[in-house]
Amino acid sequence: MIRYAAARILAGIPTLLLVSVFIFSLAHITPGDPAILLAGDNATPSQVAEIRTRLHLDLPLVQQFGLWLGDALRLDLGKSIYSGKPVTQLIAQRVEPTLVLSFVTLVLTVLVAVPLGAVSAWKANSIIDRISMGIAVAGFSIPVFVIAYLLVYFFAVKLRLFPVQGYKWLADGWMATLNSVTLPAIALAFVFSALIARVTRASVLEALGENYIRTAHAKGLGAPRILFVHALRSVGVPVITVIGIGFATLIGGVVVTESVFNIPGIGRLTVDAVTRRDYPVIQGVILFFSVALIFINLLVDLSYAYIDPRIRG
Amino acid sequence: MPRHLFRAFGLAVLLVTAQAASAEETLRLRMNGDVNVLDPISTTNFTIRNASYLMFDTLFAMDENYKVQPQMAEGAVVSDDGLVYTITLRDGLKFHDGSPVTAEDAVASLKRWGSVDGLGKILFSKTASLEAADDKTVVLTLNEPWGLVLDALGKISSNVPVIMPAEQAAKPASEAVTEPIGSGPYKLLPDEWVPGSIVVFKKFDDYVPRSEPASLAAGGKVAHFDKVEIQYIPDTATAINALIAGEIDWIEEVPADMLMFFDGVETAKTVAARQSGNSAQLVVNHLNPPFDNPKIRHALQLAVEQTPFLQAAFGDVTDSYLECAAVFFCDTPYASDINTDRVLKRDPEAAKKLLEEAGYDGTPVLIMHVTDIASQDNFYSVLAPMLKEAGFNVDVQPTDWATVATRRASKEPVENGGWNVFFTGWGFVDQSNPMTNVYVSGDCDNSWFGWACSERLQDLRKQFAVATSEDDRKKLATEMQEITHDLVSYVPLGQAFPSVGLATDLKGYIDGPVPFFWNLERTN
Repeated sequence: MIRYAAARILAGIPTLLLVSVFIFSLAHITPGDPAILLAGDNATPSQVAEIRTRLHLDLPLVQQFGLWLGDALRLDLGKSIYSGKPVTQLIAQRVEPTLVLSFVTLVLTVLVAVPLGAVSAWKANSIIDRISMGIAVAGFSIPVFVIAYLLVYFFAVKLRLFPVQGYKWLADGWMATLNSVTLPAIALAFVFSALIARVTRASVLEALGENYIRTAHAKGLGAPRILFVHALRSVGVPVITVIGIGFATLIGGVVVTESVFNIPGIGRLTVDAVTRRDYPVIQGVILFFSVALIFINLLVDLSYAYIDPRIRG
Repeated sequence: MPRHLFRAFGLAVLLVTAQAASAEETLRLRMNGDVNVLDPISTTNFTIRNASYLMFDTLFAMDENYKVQPQMAEGAVVSDDGLVYTITLRDGLKFHDGSPVTAEDAVASLKRWGSVDGLGKILFSKTASLEAADDKTVVLTLNEPWGLVLDALGKISSNVPVIMPAEQAAKPASEAVTEPIGSGPYKLLPDEWVPGSIVVFKKFDDYVPRSEPASLAAGGKVAHFDKVEIQYIPDTATAINALIAGEIDWIEEVPADMLMFFDGVETAKTVAARQSGNSAQLVVNHLNPPFDNPKIRHALQLAVEQTPFLQAAFGDVTDSYLECAAVFFCDTPYASDINTDRVLKRDPEAAKKLLEEAGYDGTPVLIMHVTDIASQDNFYSVLAPMLKEAGFNVDVQPTDWATVATRRASKEPVENGGWNVFFTGWGFVDQSNPMTNVYVSGDCDNSWFGWACSERLQDLRKQFAVATSEDDRKKLATEMQEITHDLVSYVPLGQAFPSVGLATDLKGYIDGPVPFFWNLERTN
């Protein structure tokens, strides 16, 4: 098991290198000069040139990449062109909100979507199935910002149950944190649940046709036990796969939610860096995402082994 | 003690501390942009300027009658020949690290500002020496008399000549100070500063406000809050909801189409900020065809008019905008309506005729349609059909602001990354002064983007700089406007008065071209 995990981690290194070359090229090909944006409206060309030299933007691209890679290997991702702060510090400041939001969303989603999908499969083609799948399709189709604004309007502005915006840090108490991420997590979970509910339904439906389920029926087991213990356990692999992919997309896809709810997470850091052509931050964040993705894939793979004894062997 | 009693005690302690914490008054602000640096010399960005006013102070400052008053300075004595300015600092000035503010600090700060600011550069081009005579006395000696010394030192908008410790002011202006230290009414809390999210200031207990009442940037800067937070909330609808729900206290700008959010709301209101007007312009590149031809530039003037642009931005909220083609803004000392007819009235037929006379060969006008800023997006959508109707060929290319901000600096032909036109906006303070208005320099290659060229304009500006009577200045400004509209350095698209969103429990708000947060306090 440990060797398996180690091999997976090592295999991630060339991926990371490729990703950094790709991102570096992409960021620098995009038109737009950070030096000019930084200098402001009244700057003279010589001031802009001075900034460009200071930031090494006048060096050939290959040399710029070499400088960056060398530093990155020493865990120095450079300094933000925009704020002058170290990129590692900027990322570290933003990790907590995104992780908390993603985690709460994930828990909400699994609690809602897996039972919803399982029950839909159990009562396939009934009115319950139609209604729950209808909700799932709606969740998938309505843009997340529409759901977000509706939630804000009713639960924050009208009922004053939750704050409109902002994030409370865990250091200030986890209740406040939970309160501040509830609405964004519901908005995200709405979209994400749709996907998981549909995959769960399809997989459970398939499992319900299997012989061992018929055997369970013949043994006289009750419906809930058959559904949640026997059928669900066997569909763990596809569902966990989707949850893993979903979690990865969540980390990257919280951009809109973070903007609407003003949560200072990684998603917003990324968007802001792109609009400002803040190359070191763009590169640093993408590298961070790549590492996170590799880690999540590893977790998913390891959980396969836990769920399905055949894989362990 | 039974366990539940213990818990109740814990809860009570929590409640008491929570109450103690809430007794601390915090003012929470949402500006248009993010506070990434706090060095108003390194950038002209208005958000940075606004935030910097909380923590920095200036030697002189402009009052509500646009007259310059002493601020950190006790006063200035001018020699009879008008060449020597002796400025004395007032007592008790301290930086946030506790060290006293000295004349050395003021000299170093002004030199750094003078290396980058437009008006500052002119001042230093006329300066023979700037020295600290002793700890409290700054002596400025000119080469020739210049009437605008105090106007420059009391400049209200970017770059504001703020005073910082001499060692920080030793940095080149292009490099932002990363751990700024000011001497203003609020002090930065560096550990709570998260660029892209929040910056927090604490009341500076050692600040000594002037005794006069607050008047725009001048007068006593009394801090009534323990803390000031500037939150970066990128989404405007979210910011407005937060203001209505009482989570923040002030929004720099409420877009016209969101004013209705405040209907029937008791916790917050909007105030149309008549003094903080902005203006919109279509900037024209004089180097590239077809606008290297003056006749074709005149055709452009006739092809557009202001109302459709203003309506695209403000809808039917008519008190948010004003049609105005005065180069130095309407309702200002140098406002004039000379040569504005051609700008205000659209005439596509006349434009077509001019194009024909000019021998327009159909060279397309490149329109870099900015899509990531809503107001600009609307403007570009209005521009293209107007130009087509007047007989121009247009090439519309969707892009983002960052790209345009870079591309506008290029003097190359369009096919090599150059440009023809772009929209921008300038504030009232910069535009109303002929020394800082970028469209009247006529300085050819050294002009602002567009590079309009006119020896007469250059000459007029030089005369303006040394003119001593207000009548002379007014005459010179009027001629500048006449020439500018003949030259078409830009096409003016009117003036706007953005609405500020304000919590109703605040009083003492200073309505000005720059938002100030001293004097402001909560009523309850």
